[in-house]
Amino acid sequence: MLERFTHDAREVVRHAEEQARKLRHEQVGTEHLLLGLLSRPETVSARALATHGITYERVREEIVRTLGDGTSGDIDAEALETIGIDLSAVREKIEEAFGVGALDREPRRGRGGVLLSGRRAPFSPRAKKTLELAVREAVALKSGNIRDGHILLGVIREGQGLGARILTDAGIDMSALRAEVKSAL
Amino acid sequence: MSDTAQLASDAGSRDPAVGLRAVRALRLLVERLEALQVENARNAGWSWQDIALLLGVSRQAVHKKYAGGRGLLRREK
Repeated sequence: MLERFTHDAREVVRHAEEQARKLRHEQVGTEHLLLGLLSRPETVSARALATHGITYERVREEIVRTLGDGTSGDIDAEALETIGIDLSAVREKIEEAFGVGALDREPRRGRGGVLLSGRRAPFSPRAKKTLELAVREAVALKSGNIRDGHILLGVIREGQGLGARILTDAGIDMSALRAEVKSAL
Repeated sequence: MSDTAQLASDAGSRDPAVGLRAVRALRLLVERLEALQVENARNAGWSWQDIALLLGVSRQAVHKKYAGGRGLLRREK
């Protein structure tokens, strides 16, 4: 799906995934995409958001306030050290085989009750929808590729996710923001 | 050595608070490792029977824990 995404747009998605993992969240949501958009301050979307007072720190705080920071449930490395287990050495071996963050999240129940490892955080239905809408926005604007600004338009158009809610709670006029992003694209 | 590890080695390993905390951490680690390995084995096409054998538990136990409510009555290879 990401073939036609620009470098910046891919970085937005990558940052969203990374932050979901670092906060131990089970899914990558629209709120993580919003954070991704703000991770690159020179982009069209980050600048548009900055003019409305939306900063990376503010959004991250809002996400943690709403969804919590799951790192409190992390494996206690110090406790393992007392019985001679070096968690960082274990982690290194496991990440070699299963990828970065393979031990970071708890296993969870997936569809049909199947127990899944916390290796991956899937995109939430709303985040998927947001990326689909970003593609559609790009097509509608006759853009040859999908840029970060299109992702922000996707967040706005999806409208229901935590990402959009953070923006409306900040008192942002969504149609004005939408118009600003469109003209800057 | 971290403060806790230092404390533990100073106090010896008989302090229940230190020992129990270590057991809890180890259990969390085992749960996550097991989930990764079982998932990997299933993705590689292993049967519950084969997984159970290597984990040293019954097929029913591993199926109940990992397959949830899905296809409990289905006869699997």
